Amino acid sequence: MNSDPRTTPRRNRRHALAACLLATFGWVTGSSAQEPTWRTVDQLTEEERAQFDPNTAAPRDAAIPYLPAEPYPFEAPYTAEEMGYRSSEFAHIGRWSHSLVDVYGAITTSGYINQGVSVGYVMVTMPPGIEPYGAYLRDIKAGDVYARWMLYNTFPPETEAEQQLWMVYRTDPKITTKMDFFVYSPQMRRVRRQPQPRRDQRFPDNAQTFDDVMGRDPWELEWSLIGTDVLYKTVRYPNTRPTITLNDGQAGFVEKQTADIKPMSDEYPHYQSDGGVKCWVLKATVRRDLVPDYAEKTLLFWVDQHSFYPLRTEKYNLKDELIMIEVRNAEMANPEFGQHGYSASISLYWDLEHDIMSYSLHDGHTPHTWTPEQQAMIFTPEFMRRQWLVESVKSQALIEDPDHYFLRPEIHRDKFPAERKIVLAPELEARSQAEEAAGHLIFETAGASDTN
Amino acid sequence: MSRNARAIGGVLALVCLSAAPALGIAGEMSNMASKFDRAIATFNPIGKHVRKPIERAVPSLRFKGSVRQWSDFLIDTDDHIGFREQDFRFLQLQNLLELEMAYQVAPGLDINAVTHGLYDGVYDWQSSGGLFADGIDRTAEVYNDAERVLREFYVSYRTPRFDLLVGKQQVIWGKMDGQFIDIINGMDRRESVQLETEDFETRRLPTWMANTTLHFGRNSLQVLYMFDFEQDRQPLPGSPWASPFIPPASLSTDITHPVNRPSSSYFGDHEFGLRFDRSAGALTYGVIYGYLWDKNAIDHVIGVEPQLGQPSLLHFEPRHERLHHLGVTTDYATTMPQLPWVGSVPVVLRLEALWTHGVRFVDFTKQAAARAGDSTDGTAQHDTLRAAIAAEFGLPYNTTFILQPSYYHTFGWNKHLGYGFGGGIGDEWTILPVMFLSRTFAFSRDRLSAQFTALPVISGPEVGWQGIKTKLRVKYKFSQFVTGQLIYNGYDAGEPTDFYGQYDEWDNIGWELNYEF
Repeated sequence: MNSDPRTTPRRNRRHALAACLLATFGWVTGSSAQEPTWRTVDQLTEEERAQFDPNTAAPRDAAIPYLPAEPYPFEAPYTAEEMGYRSSEFAHIGRWSHSLVDVYGAITTSGYINQGVSVGYVMVTMPPGIEPYGAYLRDIKAGDVYARWMLYNTFPPETEAEQQLWMVYRTDPKITTKMDFFVYSPQMRRVRRQPQPRRDQRFPDNAQTFDDVMGRDPWELEWSLIGTDVLYKTVRYPNTRPTITLNDGQAGFVEKQTADIKPMSDEYPHYQSDGGVKCWVLKATVRRDLVPDYAEKTLLFWVDQHSFYPLRTEKYNLKDELIMIEVRNAEMANPEFGQHGYSASISLYWDLEHDIMSYSLHDGHTPHTWTPEQQAMIFTPEFMRRQWLVESVKSQALIEDPDHYFLRPEIHRDKFPAERKIVLAPELEARSQAEEAAGHLIFETAGASDTN
Repeated sequence: MSRNARAIGGVLALVCLSAAPALGIAGEMSNMASKFDRAIATFNPIGKHVRKPIERAVPSLRFKGSVRQWSDFLIDTDDHIGFREQDFRFLQLQNLLELEMAYQVAPGLDINAVTHGLYDGVYDWQSSGGLFADGIDRTAEVYNDAERVLREFYVSYRTPRFDLLVGKQQVIWGKMDGQFIDIINGMDRRESVQLETEDFETRRLPTWMANTTLHFGRNSLQVLYMFDFEQDRQPLPGSPWASPFIPPASLSTDITHPVNRPSSSYFGDHEFGLRFDRSAGALTYGVIYGYLWDKNAIDHVIGVEPQLGQPSLLHFEPRHERLHHLGVTTDYATTMPQLPWVGSVPVVLRLEALWTHGVRFVDFTKQAAARAGDSTDGTAQHDTLRAAIAAEFGLPYNTTFILQPSYYHTFGWNKHLGYGFGGGIGDEWTILPVMFLSRTFAFSRDRLSAQFTALPVISGPEVGWQGIKTKLRVKYKFSQFVTGQLIYNGYDAGEPTDFYGQYDEWDNIGWELNYEF
């Protein structure tokens, strides 16, 4: 819970020296090649100090002792724990009723690409108008279903009409079952209840784990602030894909220049003059007393300083080695909830251990009030047998060619070196550098006649 | 044998080439494999040049399909087994084209059609005297009639609380692997003991019916009215999977008349089904009732022809029997906390059971009595029960383990009974403690997966061990449109008259290539 006892001035000087050496001899990308964009806690500006409460023993809620006593969404100054709670609000799927089409895929080192399209209906069992995460924390009883996600695959042909129903539970430190999970397979023509996926296990053919999708409950983590940073790019498009056609929900299909896509979308009012997004950088350590067999030891979150939206997440294993980077672009998907209305428009995950990069693009996101009849009809296991795509949501965002796949997330090797142990295989390091220079992924090793 | 080895080698080489980049094989080979990966990633010619233009031209039409080639060849070399001449190598060389269309006439109103074309090269592409089923029934080799080609054809009308589907369709009941309450449609069982759950979709025989479902809250009630009858198709004599221990008809002196089938033009012969389902949090359950015909006809003695100095000849008429089925299905999810080595383990439990009243069995004691002049049709009726409980465990490394003990029982059994629907296999009771293990391999970036299944058969009180079937399947995902599989099936132990034991010399290896567009 300590804010960061290890970030002494002397250590900071060493970090700055390390960053300079890396900038001279190694691979330092993006804007960080000039002045460092990151600062440790003791280097916070006055404005940031006013927003940050270093207290690590904030009073607890009388009724729900694992929650801070201050009512959600808290008020400045924020403790690291409160920042963690705020950032946990922004799970992969928005916490309000809506419909969308999820375009997703994964690519390997060789250029093998596997994609899918799934229309999603999300029904949250909270009255409309209530800030959803506060209601989740305070008003939903542990063990109760608070959301139902119905997913209907429309691509590829092999899984067309395959469906999944996720019935998502409010959990607490003791009631840890996160969902009931049903699958309908058109090949089997049967609805099958499936075991809940293991929380820290990568989905097959993907870099995402179950918890990456569901989100992590903040009370299972110990939070500290390790500093601030400015992010300029999160999800990066290659120079082989200059435009993308997105489903804007209300406005229909809109072609966008990929170079113009910003991390928090155009509406975000807090960009710096140079386009950067000021972030808190939080460290979350998994509480072994609550989650003893978890494969992840720590996570680092870059959350924007105004809504606490997590734009970048890094996961470290039990050996403290970086194993996964997630970067997101967000959009204001539900203005009704103000700064709580941001949602992921695209998330990119890079599993460094297996060098798999997967993405999930949420297209056509539309807040949706489901009628009582629709609630009773759509969000049940037996509905899947009807193979009924009630409302089609279309997307044109599939990647046509492996060469058009997203660039790897930036490593930012210079930032917070004391907290970040990054071990990349030499071949992967070389390949990444070559990709940075080329502006797109490279699938073949050096020396071949055709490098792409 | 060398020809088989070359075939296996060729397939393995193809898999290795494709897996090279995932396996980290450096250099030119890795680059070649990468070129292959990227080329096949977008290989979808029918999707691009047929499906897309059709759907663009007719926006209300959804059109998809698949091409599948699957072949199995025998490892064993015996030539003469029981009553069979096993002078063939390939058990199937099947090529299947499936086209699926759905046209939306109006919101909620659709016309759906699935057509199939199948050609099995086992009769043409190898020289064999033991394979002649194509001469008995042409559909063993090629689907050449409208009944087979037009696989499904129905009109569907949907409102939020009500579904009505009228036409030729397949209806699947149940949640388990195997068939427990899945009793509505007949099945093409040409693969005999090699037919498994993943094949049901292509082997099931759709039936003309009216199928309606009412939805209310968390409940649904389905009512079926079937005005056509489709019986099971067992392996024909002279087909690759015909049992080696069933004597050919030419050796029998008894006279078998044509099958007495239920008539679609007679209301009294129509079938009915009811299914109720409910979900309640971690528990879902359902109850079914079926008033159906037995899909397999049983020989009834309809006449006796005395022979001078010889046993009398019997006249048989195979008839289907009316059956009452009552079934239940349920499943439940939980998590087992903090087990050694594997940590928390998510688990799903499933249960399914079917009790059937009035199953008709051949009774060989009564047949003997009929031959001696007693007035009997040579059959007996008994109730049967078939049930299974399955536990599915989500283990680390994307590994799934399923343990599914299945149980079959004939009430009032005696050892002179033949086979009857749902009962013990050649015995009063039979247990199949099926084990299934599946996992993907991270080194291949999960493109490679393996599944192992063991199906031992034990029965009592007479027979005991009836053999074991083992199956190993290795699947590789070439792209999101093309997949390939290598499959080994082994049949071991048991006596030559036992369920699996009779196929002791039918161990085989197969491959399957599937392209969906």
